Amino acid sequence: MISSAYAAAEGHAQSSGLPQFESSVFASQMFWTIVSFFVLMYLLNRYVIPAINDILDSRSKKIGEDIQQAERARQEADRLLANYRDQIERARQLTATTIDEARIEAAAIREQALAELGEELNKRKASALEEIERTRVQAMEAVREAAVEIAMLATEKLIAKSVTKPKAESMVKEALEHLEKNRIGMH
Amino acid sequence: MLLTATAINAEAAQAVAAAAPRMDPLHHFQVIRYIEIAPFGMDLFSISNSVLWMWISVAAVYLFFRYAMRQPGLVPGRLQSIAEAGYLFIRGIVDENIGHGGKPFFPLVFSLFFFVLFCNWTGLIPASFTATSQLIVTATLALGIFFLSIFLGFYKHGLKFLGFFVPSGLPVLLLPLMVPIEIISFLARPVSLSVRLFANMTAGHTVLGVLFFFSATLPWIGSWLPFGFSVVFTAVEIFIGFIQAYIFTILTCVYINDSLHLHH
Repeated sequence: MISSAYAAAEGHAQSSGLPQFESSVFASQMFWTIVSFFVLMYLLNRYVIPAINDILDSRSKKIGEDIQQAERARQEADRLLANYRDQIERARQLTATTIDEARIEAAAIREQALAELGEELNKRKASALEEIERTRVQAMEAVREAAVEIAMLATEKLIAKSVTKPKAESMVKEALEHLEKNRIGMH
Repeated sequence: MLLTATAINAEAAQAVAAAAPRMDPLHHFQVIRYIEIAPFGMDLFSISNSVLWMWISVAAVYLFFRYAMRQPGLVPGRLQSIAEAGYLFIRGIVDENIGHGGKPFFPLVFSLFFFVLFCNWTGLIPASFTATSQLIVTATLALGIFFLSIFLGFYKHGLKFLGFFVPSGLPVLLLPLMVPIEIISFLARPVSLSVRLFANMTAGHTVLGVLFFFSATLPWIGSWLPFGFSVVFTAVEIFIGFIQAYIFTILTCVYINDSLHLHH
């Protein structure tokens, strides 16, 4: 009885120290720590680290490739842009020259048209003047003839066959000249 | 007659002592052998709770990484991101502290960090065991690193490695003083390395043990306070578990670096 009580007391006394310093369990723990650690290192080194290595490598490779591809695409885009700018510039120059040429041609056409028109007008004016002149001459002739007739008739009636035709004509001419002089004098 | 009375008294005292809740926050550091394997009387291979939880930690590290990397994609999922972050974290430590020539030590440092981290963390599971709270476990790791650094020093530099203990640019007169100091500080490395981790884990779990004891035994009106503290302190322990694993890893790299490059 007493011995059992002592044993209990002894057990209690033992557990009051740090259990970590109980050396009877050192050897097995040391052994299993070494084994466990090397097993873990083997497993990680064999299955985990290469997998992570691979994925990181392939990711950085992919990123590098993407950057290169983007760079190429950018260069291509730059090239295309320059190309289009060039084309637009050429088109603009072409348009400008076309417009200039059209303008020059239009000016020439207009000048030609004006010249033709002027010529035409001059021609018409000339023919119109000629017509007017002719009509005037005709009219004068007609008036004179009418006057001669009238004068002859009048003279015939007045003098009764004493005046010959040439004499009458000269007299009328005289009279007309007189008439014209008077008319000029009236103006 | 007298004898029996004493016996009865002793028995009664024993019964009372057994019935009363006894605070023993160190109880959960007790290594208990589950299977005793002791060939030729040498207790070398016994499986204890410490060994069991070491294995559980190793399995947890391995299975976590295998599961996280089961279908690695260029665009990582959540777990893969965590696994890669852990990998890059250790690679950063190795690059920073060993630098040139540190690549061959990456698997060692990587395994060491996660071994210590998961031993620290699995110990926080109720009714579990913290392998890193055992001095012999941390000492085994620390001595392994210590001998590795000595081996590396002589392997890389031959006898020039002994120059490591002679600080450069010192007057010759001071050398008899400085060389022993250097040697002592070098020999203290495995001690400080192992004791730091073991003491941190032991202290933290002891505090948790005390808090849990009070929250379990005090009347309900007083028990919420230690219980609340124990919740907060568990979070602190998670943090300390990480920090200690980090320090252990960093110092390992520093020691390897000293042996590789001999700068002092």
